[in-house]
Amino acid sequence: MTEDMSIESYLAAGGILSNPTNVPPRYRAELMKLMATFVDSELAGAAGFADIINAGPGIKERIAAARIVLEKTDNADKVLSIMGDFGADTARYASHHPWTARLDRNAGIATSRSEHDMRLAVFNYPLNGWADAVVMNLLMGRAVAVQMADFSMVSYQPLAEAFRAIAPVESHHADLAEEGLQRLLEGGDKPSIQASVDYWWPRVAASFGSAGSTRADALKAMGLRKSTNAALQTRWLGEAGAVLEGLGLKAG
Amino acid sequence: MSRFHDLSVTDINKTIRDAVVVTLKPTNGALGEFDFTQGQYLTFRRDFDGQELRRSYSICAGKDDGILQVGIKRVDGGAFSTWANEDLAVGDTVQAMPPMGSFHTPLDPGADKQYLGFAGGSGITPVLSILKTTLAREPNSTFTLVYANKAVSTIMFREELEDLKNSYMGRFNVIHILESDAQEIDLFTGLVSQEKCAELFKGWIDIDHVDTAFICGPEPMMLGIAAALREHGLTDAQIKFELFASAQPGRASTKAASGKAASSARETTAVITLDGATQTITTSKDVSVLDAALQNAMDAPFACKAGVCSTCRCRVIEGEVEMASNHALEDYEVEKGYVLSCQSFPVTDKVVVDYDQ
Repeated sequence: MTEDMSIESYLAAGGILSNPTNVPPRYRAELMKLMATFVDSELAGAAGFADIINAGPGIKERIAAARIVLEKTDNADKVLSIMGDFGADTARYASHHPWTARLDRNAGIATSRSEHDMRLAVFNYPLNGWADAVVMNLLMGRAVAVQMADFSMVSYQPLAEAFRAIAPVESHHADLAEEGLQRLLEGGDKPSIQASVDYWWPRVAASFGSAGSTRADALKAMGLRKSTNAALQTRWLGEAGAVLEGLGLKAG
Repeated sequence: MSRFHDLSVTDINKTIRDAVVVTLKPTNGALGEFDFTQGQYLTFRRDFDGQELRRSYSICAGKDDGILQVGIKRVDGGAFSTWANEDLAVGDTVQAMPPMGSFHTPLDPGADKQYLGFAGGSGITPVLSILKTTLAREPNSTFTLVYANKAVSTIMFREELEDLKNSYMGRFNVIHILESDAQEIDLFTGLVSQEKCAELFKGWIDIDHVDTAFICGPEPMMLGIAAALREHGLTDAQIKFELFASAQPGRASTKAASGKAASSARETTAVITLDGATQTITTSKDVSVLDAALQNAMDAPFACKAGVCSTCRCRVIEGEVEMASNHALEDYEVEKGYVLSCQSFPVTDKVVVDYDQ
């Protein structure tokens, strides 16, 4: 058996790693960033949504919202425990940061993240009432579904498995949002729902990152990315656009 | 945070010339902590010349064997494996963390599945644990093992595998592939490559009905087998990998002695290496190493900036830094010079750090 292959070339050839004992330092760092981005986004998303539960128009809606908060927090926990395998203090991680903190609704932050956590920029914008939250959850839910499909193939097997378990749960959240939006539209108030779509559409679109990301090749060589930002965004534009069209709304 | 426990060595058994099977018994009431899942590994620590070394070895016992056992093959130049093979004795105490690892799938007594395992050399240890446990706990499932070795004399657990074949007649099958020893069937000589797998799938292995495959071996072998399995329709969710590279990080050199003493100057020269490129930056001692790198357009890794997650870990090669807080690195990492760059402020007038180590 030839045993002289470096881990780097093993990864570049599509190799899979399964434990923290032999991950190269740069791989470790990029993997941790990827996981932190997911965990922070889920925790921030769940925290933001928790505040909106009581704004639900009926008990069914509140149950759905509460369930989304529960499951997003659980999804964060699944990935955080993998960060724990690498030494992260998981107990402190969840409590070290005000996950409900938001910027101004019109803050022009584009794709830049805050100083203190790795949540996707879109999670720094505050929700503006129940219908707005449902719209955001639908658009972001579809975006997460697209990203999960890519992340389910990452080269760190425990994380790929976590994402494969998380993907259908997140996808269901988007389904719940779609049903919720359908009911809201039946009750009228289409213009304000369209206004929410117009608000969230470019912000969610930006969450896929810039097309000219310089890290893409390095991440690809480590097996931490398969598709480009642009390819993922294009998929989402198509899928989310079709859902909106089905609801009689216009993509932003 | 990791917790090491004492375990006493109750038996040592040489399975081949350069590999031992070590039976361990947790002491001090830590028995429950070591209730493992088949396919998991233990991480040991030991001091060599004043420096702590950690090594992970897979458990080779099955869940129903009622014992905790790891296989340790001697690696050329490997301090820990050589020590375990030559000096470790019954009655000694070793230290290990509770079992870790996700190289397993859930078992179901009612399942009727076909498993396929690939092991290269000492990669047999977790696969042995998996197959023993699976055969015992899923009475309707079958397991085929493709086991690659250099020669007959280097086959770990050869007799144990023969015994298992007899105990589980018709449910367990082993195909030995030997690199250098000729066998009756030509196909069974050589390396387990993608092409070899394709040949095996023609008549020897019913690949169309395999539910789950386990692979543990050196990198090129894992790649070849995975490619063959995918080519024959298995999805990534059906393939479980475990890589214990021959390249488990080598013995880290000791932390560089700080070249210069701390001074009262408020500025420092930071030499920062990231992705193979090195930048020399003049920065304030009140700026963290991470911020100094970020302010100079280096794409240094970070996430929490609170000393909690360890994404920003780097290694101090020269000079000294002070960490404001550290909730993620362990003492042995700090001893080797690893720091959380988001929490590290230069103390000396020159610091050299490396994110690539």
